Amino acid sequence: MRYYVQRVALAILLLLAVSMLTFGALNVLGDPLFNILGPVAGDVNNPESVEMINTAKREFNLDRSLPVRYGLWVSDFVQGDFGVTFSSTGQPPVSGVISERLPRTISLVLMAQFFAIFVSIPWALITASRAGKVSDRISTINAFFLVAMPNFAIAVILKFVFSIKLDWMPLTYKADDPLSSRIFQMVLPALTIGLPVAAVYQRLLRTDLITTLQQDFILLARTKGLSKWRILFVHALRPSLFSFITVVGLNTGALIGGSIVSETVFRIPGIGSTLVESVLRNDFPVVLAIVMIVASSFVIINLLVDFAYTLIDPRVRR
Amino acid sequence: MSTNPATSTAITPDETIVKKKLGVGFWLCVTWLGLMAFIALFTPLLPLKSPTQNFLDPANGRPPYSPSWKHWFGSDKDARDVFARTLHGARISLTVGFAAITAGFLVGGTVGVISGYFKGWIDRISSFVFIVLLSFPSLVLAILLTSLIERSLLTISLVLGLLSIAPVGRLARAATLQFADREFVLAARQIGATNRRIIIKEILPNVAIPMSSLALLGMAVAVVAEGGLSFLGLSVEKGITWGGLIQLGSESSKTLEEAPWIAFFPILMLFLTVLSLNFAGDRVRNYFDVKETTL
Repeated sequence: MRYYVQRVALAILLLLAVSMLTFGALNVLGDPLFNILGPVAGDVNNPESVEMINTAKREFNLDRSLPVRYGLWVSDFVQGDFGVTFSSTGQPPVSGVISERLPRTISLVLMAQFFAIFVSIPWALITASRAGKVSDRISTINAFFLVAMPNFAIAVILKFVFSIKLDWMPLTYKADDPLSSRIFQMVLPALTIGLPVAAVYQRLLRTDLITTLQQDFILLARTKGLSKWRILFVHALRPSLFSFITVVGLNTGALIGGSIVSETVFRIPGIGSTLVESVLRNDFPVVLAIVMIVASSFVIINLLVDFAYTLIDPRVRR
Repeated sequence: MSTNPATSTAITPDETIVKKKLGVGFWLCVTWLGLMAFIALFTPLLPLKSPTQNFLDPANGRPPYSPSWKHWFGSDKDARDVFARTLHGARISLTVGFAAITAGFLVGGTVGVISGYFKGWIDRISSFVFIVLLSFPSLVLAILLTSLIERSLLTISLVLGLLSIAPVGRLARAATLQFADREFVLAARQIGATNRRIIIKEILPNVAIPMSSLALLGMAVAVVAEGGLSFLGLSVEKGITWGGLIQLGSESSKTLEEAPWIAFFPILMLFLTVLSLNFAGDRVRNYFDVKETTL
């Protein structure tokens, strides 16, 4: 019990630190007033501009001190009010933008994770059972190549081969299409994110599988005359999955990073591409909201991974 | 087990002296990296075409021109020479990668060694800072920071350097913890060596070995991160980068279809560079791990 309390406390502390850092960075390094009003913010000699500056300051609580603003923002944030976008009308509210786009990013990341897991497990099983042979070496080289390929390059290559040359896959994502075609449109973006991750998973799982395959109970299973695939799937895979599960959880951060690139290339209006657009437009409440959502979900996923780990291996708790 | 002849013969003198080799692949990678470093350092002095000049050639029709003897990597839509631009791109990509990992090692390495050596509250604070930095997916933190600064060579390097502090610092701390209570450190302390002397003379040489491969792997990560940022239009504002070139070549699918060379040659260069850094780093790690176990 004490372990869980400690972990949750640490996670809350982390969330606080992360939010202060993000909020502080955007408010201290950036110039929120300029972000709201644009060039008008610097025009202090014109009474009309001064009027606008004062209104904006009041509206966005910019006349309060930084800790007060932080407090106000946090209390709004946990209630799901992320403020207004910095456009002339303030429409749509940031929470509207997020709730429309976040599901797309989540499904993209889940799909990428799904691809990565279901490519890497058979891949690792095959290579581990033939460790050291030619096919294993070729696969190691392939994994190396995949890991060395930045995901934006993979995106461009996939797009070129499958959408342009072969014309099998749609070029971009269309938010208005029916669900089935939208899922189809997400295959290439998800592969972009999932392929290099699959290589990482495969290398890890292969190493663990090789260690497991040298144990006595595998020898026993083999002497019992069980088939090779039965031994691999039923006896060897499960005990080798411990570090695999941890890494799958921890890799969510890399997947989110990948989704930023992938969404931009394949024009998916998710929160990743929105983050980039908002940064380029200096739309600071949107940036703040997205960074906070991403960082907090990352912290929470890590917490859940830790807990899942204690369920698999209770020794960790002590 | 100790009388098992198989195990006793396994450790014959011959086998322990087996020379550890880095292999041909390692030296190929080093050669490629050396070539890239040379290009990055001396681009202005090389006999290259100007990367910004428009080599319009009415006899050849409208640009982009496909690769030819005149333009080895072809030309882009504005008839600029892709070969010259790709080589120029090495400059920013590699400088940022190198500067970032150097900054990360200076700060992260120092903090990591100090917190691993002194432990106590220094260690707690620095470990917490590392966890906070690691709570952001790295690309998200990089985008957040680059959005707030003027994007120059120096600031982008510093941002990516900041990102490498936590991973470098954690490894340095872990490596230091391994050595901090070893006999040779205790012995040094017994004969009255100061903490500073122990850290520099006893700890650092040992910590440097596992860290050396991280320098190469970390530089690969930094080069990829810079590429990702410039691909998104968030890296060094003025100047040619590999990520920017790839973005330019793939921005519209029409360009990608008609002139794939614009995107693919920079991809190839980036890929070979990252592959070399990864492979060399991996070889260095294996090389020293073997040494460590025979110690």
